[in-house]
Amino acid sequence: MSFTDADLIARVLSREDQHAFGELVRRYQSPVRSFLARLMRGDTHLADDLAQETFLKAWRKLHTYRGTARFSTWLFGIAFNEFRTVARQRKELALEDIDEGSSTEPVQSATDSRSDLRLDLTEALKQLSSNERAAIVLCCQNGLSHEEAAHVLDCPLGTVKTNVLRGKEKLKRRLPGYQHYESA
Amino acid sequence: MSQPEDKDPLDAVLREQHPYIEDDGFTTRVLAALPPRRRTWLRPILLLGATAIGSALAIQWLPWENLPSLDASTLLSLNSQVLLPWLLVLSVAASLTWAVIAAVQWED
Repeated sequence: MSFTDADLIARVLSREDQHAFGELVRRYQSPVRSFLARLMRGDTHLADDLAQETFLKAWRKLHTYRGTARFSTWLFGIAFNEFRTVARQRKELALEDIDEGSSTEPVQSATDSRSDLRLDLTEALKQLSSNERAAIVLCCQNGLSHEEAAHVLDCPLGTVKTNVLRGKEKLKRRLPGYQHYESA
Repeated sequence: MSQPEDKDPLDAVLREQHPYIEDDGFTTRVLAALPPRRRTWLRPILLLGATAIGSALAIQWLPWENLPSLDASTLLSLNSQVLLPWLLVLSVAASLTWAVIAAVQWED
């Protein structure tokens, strides 16, 4: 029998059921860790630390979850706040703003294999600003609507749309294998 | 609600190149780092214990042998010497019953 997110959340809130919370973590660990790994430019160790802190914060703040948004959207919001805190401490955001757009060179050489394209995409995503990267990963990889992404990123809807468009334009310029893949 | 454009081939590339990350003990690590559970069992246990002690004391100390017999005429007479001991017994029984119900239905 499969419980819905709402069932599991109710069990956590009423009984502090750690098994129910474990099921929620299992369901969402991959998208949250992947999101943070993208934001941390592939630093998976730090991304996993942030993901763990995200779920611990979710445990502590679960009573504030109102159910108006999807649970995954709520989790992404906590994850992005965790990232922002670390980025501020490291002053990465400020540095990114300076570096943004400085590199428009295609990444690596043109390839037509999917594994090479995956590597190229990973590298190309690293060259986007954190806001563009976050918008692309949320909307294009995790299927969030622009409104949901704006809620997660705590920014205006228009900013999200701009970041998605701008980020995709940059990716197209930097992904030489993209055209091969498209025609494959 | 505005959705990301589906017709852009780059969206297909991004979706397909979105890796699934195996759990590899991540969930176990998160659960191990959770704060210890509050002792939610403590309060019902205390309530049930207090109820048991209260019941034992009530059985021991209430003047069961000296309780006046109850019938319709004595009830209607509203004689306090008859009714007061019974009210005492009833209030003790009601308190103990309430404590048992509260303990059984306790949720944090």
